[in-house]
Amino acid sequence: MAKANKVKIYTTSTCPWCMKTKEFFKAHNVKYEEVNVGDDEKARNEMFEKSGQFGVPVTDINGTVIVGYDKEALKKALGIA
Amino acid sequence: MFDTIIIGAGCAGLAAAMYAGRLNLKTLLVGENIGGTIILTDVVENYPGFIRLSGQELADNLRRHTESYNIEKAEAKVTKLRHEHNCFIVETNEGKTYQSKTIIFATGTEWRKLNIPGEKEFANKGVHYCALCDGAIYKGKPVAVVGGGDSAAKEALLMSQYASKVYVLARGEKLRGEPINNDRVAKNPKIEVITKVNVKEIKGDKIVKYAVLDKAVNGSTTLKLDAIFAAIGHIALSQLAKDVGVATNDKGEIIIDRESKTNVPGFFAAGDVCDTVFKQAITGVSEGVTAVYSAYTHVNENEFICPIGNEDLMVKSDKKA
Repeated sequence: MAKANKVKIYTTSTCPWCMKTKEFFKAHNVKYEEVNVGDDEKARNEMFEKSGQFGVPVTDINGTVIVGYDKEALKKALGIA
Repeated sequence: MFDTIIIGAGCAGLAAAMYAGRLNLKTLLVGENIGGTIILTDVVENYPGFIRLSGQELADNLRRHTESYNIEKAEAKVTKLRHEHNCFIVETNEGKTYQSKTIIFATGTEWRKLNIPGEKEFANKGVHYCALCDGAIYKGKPVAVVGGGDSAAKEALLMSQYASKVYVLARGEKLRGEPINNDRVAKNPKIEVITKVNVKEIKGDKIVKYAVLDKAVNGSTTLKLDAIFAAIGHIALSQLAKDVGVATNDKGEIIIDRESKTNVPGFFAAGDVCDTVFKQAITGVSEGVTAVYSAYTHVNENEFICPIGNEDLMVKSDKKA
């Protein structure tokens, strides 16, 4: 049984790489919280504070911040082989 | 040993894979990004048979069609390509090595950079290359799209859904989009097209604040904005092909004939990486399918001597290396 990861993803509604990242989570049964930075100014600022940039998606996995859809980095942060 | 390895999984590569499946070729499709560049396009209205659908939908349809045939797929990046005897050896970033009788090369392109001061510094901090990806972040803010082609027109139209104001900064005398898109731009109250202008520099602090132009616009050479979306064209991703002696034109695009053949026997190419003038999903798909038929013919008409699994040749090729 994998340990519970705290996963938050910052997205826009049309961003293709956000969809890929969410598909990746679904395929690996990873629960995540999604915030839309296009609609939510507070989330937009929070994402910038965490990642220092405005490219989406940004994923925060237990405090590890990943910019873009980076399968290997996601796997590593989630502890998936 | 594969009959064909298709490198690149955009429209051209997916179409090629579908048809390779139909022709019963033992096929491997390798691509980092299944769907390719079309998934970054908001709306596709020029793919026959579909009046209007999203780029993602088109990619999903092509993928499903491909998956209805018996082919192998690897979501990986090809790091090395070799041509030995009359076989091709493909290595990926996952540490795997494959061998094939033919290659169908459909790697596509990457965005051309502006190559101006501030571009690198503010990458993703106001400098972007995909409005569909990052556009919504600039809701209610002024932005610019740099470029004068159809991509620039489409990026501007998309950005007008979010931004308070969209400047299109075009180098030429007028916008060179498709007439239907030029028209939409002209009628859009948020979009202002500025022609015969170059962006010299992008400035800001932590994020982009303004662009420096080479001529005054509304009385100033600085243009206040929160983001710049570059849409000044593409660069062919042809290096791996060049590594095995495939000929390219002065833009680095692979030279193909009407049968999608290159100068290297057994090596075929399709899609945006090729030296074709009109680059659309539909033309890439057509070249991909043509390439498969050429590969099918090549496989049937030749005997193949391949190094992997052939000890004598392995030793020889190692010595050669």
